[in-house]
Amino acid sequence: MTLSEAPSTSPALVTTALVTTALEKSYHSTEPPTRVLNGIDLAVRQGEFLAVMGASGSGKSTLLYCISGMDRPTAGHVRLGDLDLTELSERDMSHTRLTKMGFIFQQAYFLSNFNLRDNILLPALKAQPKARAEVEARVDAMLERFGIAHVADHGITQVSGGQLQRASICRALATKPAVLFADEPTGALNSSMTLEVMDALTGVHRDGTTIMMVTHDPACAVRADRVVYLRDGLLVDERDLGAWQQADTSRREDELLSWLRDHDF
Amino acid sequence: MSARGISLVAGRREGVLDILFQGNFWEGVLDILYIYGLSGLWTHALRKRRETRNVAGVELFNIDLDIAYHWVLTWMSLQIPGIGVLSSEAPQHMHFKYTLNDLRKNPGVNIALLVVLVFSAFLMASGAMVMERTLGSVNALFDQAKPPHFLQMHKGAYDKAALDAFATAHPEIDSWLIEDMVGYDSAVLAWARPGTTESGTLSKSLIDNLFVTQNTAFDFLLDADSTIAYPADGETFVPVAYQQRFGLQAGDELRIRTDVGIESFVIAGFVRDSQMASSLSSATRFLVSDADFERLHTSGGSPEIIVEYRLADPAQTSNFQAAYESDQSLPKNGQAVTGDMIRIINAISDGLVAIALMFVSLLLIAIALLNVRFVIRGRLQDEVHQIGAMKAIGLPNSTISGLYLSKYSAMTLIACVIGGGLAIVASRALTSGMQASYATAPVTALTFLAPIAALVLVFLVVIAICRHVLRLINRIEVVGALVHGSTLNERQTARRGKRLARRVRRSAFTSYRGGDLGRRISLVDLRSEAGQWMLLPLVFLLAVVLITLPTNLLTTFQSPKFVTYMGAPESDLRIDLQFSDDLEQVREDADTAFATDSRLAQVHRFANELVETRGDEGWESMRVEVGDYSGNTIQYLRGGPPSAGEISLSVLNADRYGVDVDDEFTVRRDGSEVTLTVNGVYQDITSGGQTAKMAGDATGIVTGYIYYATTAAGQDPTVIATDYGDRFPAATVVPMREYVSQTLSYVTSAFFNAALLAIVFAIGVAALITTLNLTLRLAREKRRSGILSALGFSGSELAAQLRFKAILTVVIGTMIGVAVAATLGEALVGAAISLAGLGISNLAFIPNPLLVYVAYPLLLMAVGTISAVAVSSRLRRGDTSAWLRA
Ligand SMILES: Nc1ncnc2c1ncn2[C@@H]1O[C@H](COP(=O)(O)OP(=O)(O)OP(=O)(O)O)[C@@H](O)[C@H]1O
Ligand SMILES: [Mg+2]
Repeated sequence: MTLSEAPSTSPALVTTALVTTALEKSYHSTEPPTRVLNGIDLAVRQGEFLAVMGASGSGKSTLLYCISGMDRPTAGHVRLGDLDLTELSERDMSHTRLTKMGFIFQQAYFLSNFNLRDNILLPALKAQPKARAEVEARVDAMLERFGIAHVADHGITQVSGGQLQRASICRALATKPAVLFADEPTGALNSSMTLEVMDALTGVHRDGTTIMMVTHDPACAVRADRVVYLRDGLLVDERDLGAWQQADTSRREDELLSWLRDHDF
Repeated sequence: MSARGISLVAGRREGVLDILFQGNFWEGVLDILYIYGLSGLWTHALRKRRETRNVAGVELFNIDLDIAYHWVLTWMSLQIPGIGVLSSEAPQHMHFKYTLNDLRKNPGVNIALLVVLVFSAFLMASGAMVMERTLGSVNALFDQAKPPHFLQMHKGAYDKAALDAFATAHPEIDSWLIEDMVGYDSAVLAWARPGTTESGTLSKSLIDNLFVTQNTAFDFLLDADSTIAYPADGETFVPVAYQQRFGLQAGDELRIRTDVGIESFVIAGFVRDSQMASSLSSATRFLVSDADFERLHTSGGSPEIIVEYRLADPAQTSNFQAAYESDQSLPKNGQAVTGDMIRIINAISDGLVAIALMFVSLLLIAIALLNVRFVIRGRLQDEVHQIGAMKAIGLPNSTISGLYLSKYSAMTLIACVIGGGLAIVASRALTSGMQASYATAPVTALTFLAPIAALVLVFLVVIAICRHVLRLINRIEVVGALVHGSTLNERQTARRGKRLARRVRRSAFTSYRGGDLGRRISLVDLRSEAGQWMLLPLVFLLAVVLITLPTNLLTTFQSPKFVTYMGAPESDLRIDLQFSDDLEQVREDADTAFATDSRLAQVHRFANELVETRGDEGWESMRVEVGDYSGNTIQYLRGGPPSAGEISLSVLNADRYGVDVDDEFTVRRDGSEVTLTVNGVYQDITSGGQTAKMAGDATGIVTGYIYYATTAAGQDPTVIATDYGDRFPAATVVPMREYVSQTLSYVTSAFFNAALLAIVFAIGVAALITTLNLTLRLAREKRRSGILSALGFSGSELAAQLRFKAILTVVIGTMIGVAVAATLGEALVGAAISLAGLGISNLAFIPNPLLVYVAYPLLLMAVGTISAVAVSSRLRRGDTSAWLRA
């Protein structure tokens, strides 16, 4: 792995989990090439809960994919802690994704030949193949915590969408990642399931996990510390909401909605 | 049919367009084929009319074949649903843009499927053609050459008056003759090419070289143009077998070292010898002029005769043979051969190639069908949403399956066209060698019917399988298809869900203690998706059988142990003392020479004795090998070697006289009857398979002696053979291995070709199917690859998983294939051989284990591995987001 020469003494950088500089992405499979990201400069603080909003097609998913190395950016840099991700080989990038990143997708991407618990165990066992007992204990504790222990040995078609998405969170956290990415984690859920999942995510954030979440739902974005707005592949605005408290939910929601209205959301 | 109906639908749902235009593409192809078929029919028919006047068999044959071919094309294209479009608004529907799109979408799959189908059609058609041409060739040769129905070779003095009397007493004889021959040893024959330094000897040949003049009544020797050859003085016609073996040309010089000096002949051409075309008869004939023959006759060659008969009714041959053999006064110390034996042996050498081709093509068709089935099922699964949509708007099932069927049947048709075309070219090449040995076969209706029937068969079988697989469309339910994207109905879905739930209940990692996690999950996938991974092991199983059987046959026929099928013990040297006036003197000299030779470890001598047995027509002659069988290594089918008072019979003799082990068997030796017990039955393909063995000393008419010797450690049988060949000019001394390889050279070279062909095709097909199947798997596993990659599996780890699965299935298939080939395969081939009536009723393979059970499987597994590596390398790039979006 390449160690970046970033000065680790600067106090501002120490608390920065993730930085992108002039990140660009074009797809050349179309004629003319589609420019999806137009130079994104974004910094996510350690322990921050960041929400990314924007119209459909504005490049939110692409941004997540480029940051996590699931897509190769056309230009620019991504820095995770001391690592320059854009300089990593495919293999090292995969390893970084395994050990330092967690993912939650809109659709629950699970392997159908394994039960729920095995799906969750899989990345954790891969990260620590020798420590099965420890990994299992950790995963079982999480299953309890997110209330899906009773369906742990079910097939993935035998659980509800909310349970599946909570299982996604378990799987993402099982490797104790530095950053948790979520791409519309509640996009396919009804409102009660959305609440389940957001409560789970908020809990995870409280424990100190850095989260970067793409969402269309202001009711979800309201839980974040900060919201950034993406339009045509550019970060056009951001809004600091401060730490979320159950009590002032409705005030934050009003604030956020009026801000979004300014952006024709 | 459907074109108008579907265009109504086309606008409504994007997915439907996809299929629609694929359908149109194939309809377009069909139209072109149809037009091609018709136009070919027209132009070729015209040409045929023009050229009928200057009749040239082969030319006309080609034109006829082309006409028949185009006719069938037209017919087959009419069989395909969708061709009806031609009559309505066809041109508007040929959307070549979409055509290209379809090809761009799945080029590999379409092409690979097509190639397998072409292979099948090609092999099937050329197998049929070669078979037809071979039989035709042999028959044509027989018609022109008029071989005898029964012949008897003889060395030494004979009673001409007895032969005359026999002929007058047997009205069933149509005609008969005594052919005088003079034999020269291969060692005294040499050739040279005038004007060059090229030259050589024929001493490598172990076959008897007999110089003859052309017969006048029947048994003609034919030259390359199938006309009866008449050499001028100083000219000779050489057997075709020598032309091929020593690379001789017309115009070369043939020199014979006789007792009175060198006789030199110009090779005027080459003759095909209908009765000795097969070297199993271990003699071959050279044609010279009458004057030259007289000179050769008096210059030291060994005279020999063949008495030949043609019968009014060839079906009576065996009765006639019995009658001949029961007459004591007739000459008979050489081999007796019947027309049937000649025919079988001739047909088998080239016929085997045809059979091997058909066998290979059958296995390939099996592979192609498996493949078609998997591809179509996968396709239906992928396009289940579109099928659901079509069903939802009320299109009948037959219309929907017609869309698919038209594509696959058009593909099969194209395959038949290409394969048939290739077969015409290939069979010309394949049969050209044969046409040299035999005659040009006349063109008959069968000439066209055979390959065309083979092609139509391929076509119909593939279409039947397609129809069968497409019946799945009838069972697809709209809701299941549209909502769940599933080809299963509600009950099946529920059942499947339950099964899956039961399977996943137990953790897949219960026994995981570190190690390769990728392999662990690959194994789980394999177990869960066993059905979809069946194709690879099945194909490799068939491929192993495909390459093992011909090679096993080849090594069996090439093995020194094969002599046990020739009624001889395993040994290093075989010494033949043929009949001569001083036979006993030569034997005594040989006995002393062998006994005092320290290079020989063991020598067994057997006498060839003629005894009489009771046949249908009274007493008849039977050849018996008499000697000491105590230390004998020959394999007995039943029972064992004879001791005093016992006899062992070859399979064909046991059948002929209806006796088996422990039965009584009466022979007449030297005038007195002896009753013996049958103690054993063995396999023998020499002397027409009709031989016997008795213990003790010869007491009757001895026609020759055979010695089997094993050499002492470190001695070269070839050196010893040359040595004794020089010391005993009257003896034929051959190293056993060479004897076997030469007497069986026709058969083994045929097997060699078949084995080579099988290997080439098996490897090609294995590579092709592996690539095709894995490509399909990759496409269908995109989601899985995306998930694993997102979780942190690198591209090369995903590639390793695919390789692991592929190689594991390939290895399993190959292993099972080896087991099947070794067990069932032997039984299968053995049955076919025993039906051929060669005298082998129970063929046990003598395989080269290292080759067929180690090298071949390794080769196939390597092919599978290389294909898997090639395909899996596409995973290296780790296109995570694209896989997830798929
Ligand atoms: N492989 C591709 N080739 C070409 N263009 C692409 C490709 N993938 C995505 N795009 C384009 O990139 C743009 C951004 O896509 P992206 O999925 O990032 O949008 P998004 O903001 O996540 O939208 P949504 O809210 O609908 O999920 C879209 O206009 C899309 O058409
Ligand atoms: Mg998106």
